[in-house]
Amino acid sequence: MEWSIGEENIRYTAELSDNEGEMTLNSVKKEGEEIPISDISISYNSNLDRFLVNIDKISKLAHVVKVKDSYWIHLDGRIHIVNSHEIGYSNQKQSEGSLVAPMPGTIIEILVKKGQRVRKGQSLMVMEAMKMEHKIQSPKDGEVISISNEVGQKVDMGAVLVEIVD
Amino acid sequence: MFPDWMKDAPKPYSSVLVANRGEIAVRILQSARELGLKGISIYSDSDANSLHVEVSEEAIHLPGKLLSETYLNIEAIINAAKISGAEAIHPGYGFLSERSDFAKAVVDSNLIWIGPSPKSIEIMGDKISARNKMIDSGVPIIPGEEIFIEKDEDYIGPLAAAAARVGYPLLLKASAGGGGKGMRAVYEPKNLKSQYEAASREASTAFGDGTVYVERLLTKARHVEIQILCDERGNSIHLNERDCSLQRRHQKVIEEAPSPALSDEIRQSMGESAIKAANSVNYVGAGTVEFLLSSNEQFFFLEMNTRLQVEHPITELITGIDIVQKQFEIAAGIELNLNQEDIGINGHSIEARIYAENPSNGFLPATGILSKWKFPNGPGIRLDSGFREGDEITIDFDPMLAKLIVHAPNRESALRKLDTAISDFIILGVMTNLGFLRDVIKQDEFFEGQITTDYLENAPESLFIQTSSNPSHLIAIASVAERIGVNRQSPGQLSGEMVDDYSGHIGDPFRTLSRIFP
Repeated sequence: MEWSIGEENIRYTAELSDNEGEMTLNSVKKEGEEIPISDISISYNSNLDRFLVNIDKISKLAHVVKVKDSYWIHLDGRIHIVNSHEIGYSNQKQSEGSLVAPMPGTIIEILVKKGQRVRKGQSLMVMEAMKMEHKIQSPKDGEVISISNEVGQKVDMGAVLVEIVD
Repeated sequence: MFPDWMKDAPKPYSSVLVANRGEIAVRILQSARELGLKGISIYSDSDANSLHVEVSEEAIHLPGKLLSETYLNIEAIINAAKISGAEAIHPGYGFLSERSDFAKAVVDSNLIWIGPSPKSIEIMGDKISARNKMIDSGVPIIPGEEIFIEKDEDYIGPLAAAAARVGYPLLLKASAGGGGKGMRAVYEPKNLKSQYEAASREASTAFGDGTVYVERLLTKARHVEIQILCDERGNSIHLNERDCSLQRRHQKVIEEAPSPALSDEIRQSMGESAIKAANSVNYVGAGTVEFLLSSNEQFFFLEMNTRLQVEHPITELITGIDIVQKQFEIAAGIELNLNQEDIGINGHSIEARIYAENPSNGFLPATGILSKWKFPNGPGIRLDSGFREGDEITIDFDPMLAKLIVHAPNRESALRKLDTAISDFIILGVMTNLGFLRDVIKQDEFFEGQITTDYLENAPESLFIQTSSNPSHLIAIASVAERIGVNRQSPGQLSGEMVDDYSGHIGDPFRTLSRIFP
């Protein structure tokens, strides 16, 4: 299993050893390179549904929930998302240059046409979600080669909206 | 049976229907219960299992998914009151709360309306008539004008002319707007057309009216508002101010009381202006007069909200007055038993609005299931929310998950308490602004009380990036969770997982085999 944190594209792997329910971290690799780690051991209390995390002899409690392929972790007063990936699958969620819906919502305006040159940051369409409008901006300079939806259509999060090539 | 405190009231009642949903419905229903009033809720199809239904003594189903069929359906709501035998209606905020036709329909149905008269709502709801009232009563206003544009008319000419008279930078506001919806700032003439179209469209979606108002945009200003209470006998008092300067796209994020920017003199004259504003429309009930406070300590009337405000709890904490209770009393015709001298400021209170959104991705709304929801509590911590663990957050309603409110002897200790409370708030399964809130209250500008309404628009990019723990710690925890197979079957987790169409099971091995990895 490979891991990434939040929206970062960096991949990590970890090795654990299991000592009667108490797991110890042996090593962590970041993009294949081993990185320095703290002395970490972790155990799970299933009745309380909490993780007891011991980092360099300091104990902390963590709350963890799995949602789809991600682990949501509350640690040190902050919430973090760690995503799991099967080893070897590429980082890219979709083909290069396609822009996906960042949220579920309705397309209320399309500001570009197929074949049009666009600049990075240019507004391509307007979506509405939770009664607010949000502009969808181009991630790069390029030419619009396809537009997947029409005005008024509802889209799910992650649906391809526009494809842009250099 | 009327509650004991209602016995000598001119217009006693014993039950109230709350024409709202979410946290405000929960908050009002709880007050009603404490006061011995029977609380009745309404709910749409998607709200059948919502918290506000759970905390009400009776609930009436309004069939339909569209707002126009449910929470914006005057006829259905009046009918629900009749079915349930409710004697009074509390509108909460948003939805129909500032619709004079709703207030009128309630009164005409011989029900008690918990709010000001339809006439007061109408005058204050229309920005032109409100401005004229303010001019007449000597309350300062911001330069601006309204444009009447017929549907499909060529609006560019009149709009550009009005904009030129008012001057740039300017603010386009939907006349019927509020809460940040249907508002757009325009800094240069070339953006006028696109911003007008966006504002007018957003206003039509949210309020069913596309008229737009052009107003000079005051930069480096603070948003300071005064809570007022007026009874039917002509007694009017104010409960001091709330400072709501930390905003994003005109949506309030953090509010505090008292304002760190107000001198006693300004507080007093702003309070007097607010009472003048309320009296100019013979206001009855609880209301809020909003002002912009410029950097040279001049203040201007912004608008009056003729309803309960989202951020009313901070005023309750510093004054010790339950505003919803006062609304119930005033509606029964009971005299305000308070003089202005009785109203003090006890300590400092701050409210942080927890939104389902992603701060590092332009604050896009987030959805999902509240798989884990553990909120902080303790002395001086209050949480107002319409959600609990397992609830699903959809795009159908406002993205506000909760209001976290703290109260402490002074501003510094209130800020520390807020930081601790946010760090103890565990929301897993839905992206929120919790981390962002912790970061923002630690900014020097916020700590020193120097925030103006444009602060977040010009804030450094780094403020919006989530602060992360040591990656290897997080990876270690995730790996252990994966190894021991943590997959807590909370109610949220169950519905959060996709059910396999073929087997009807969650996490079907055949589905697992064919799933697509990112």
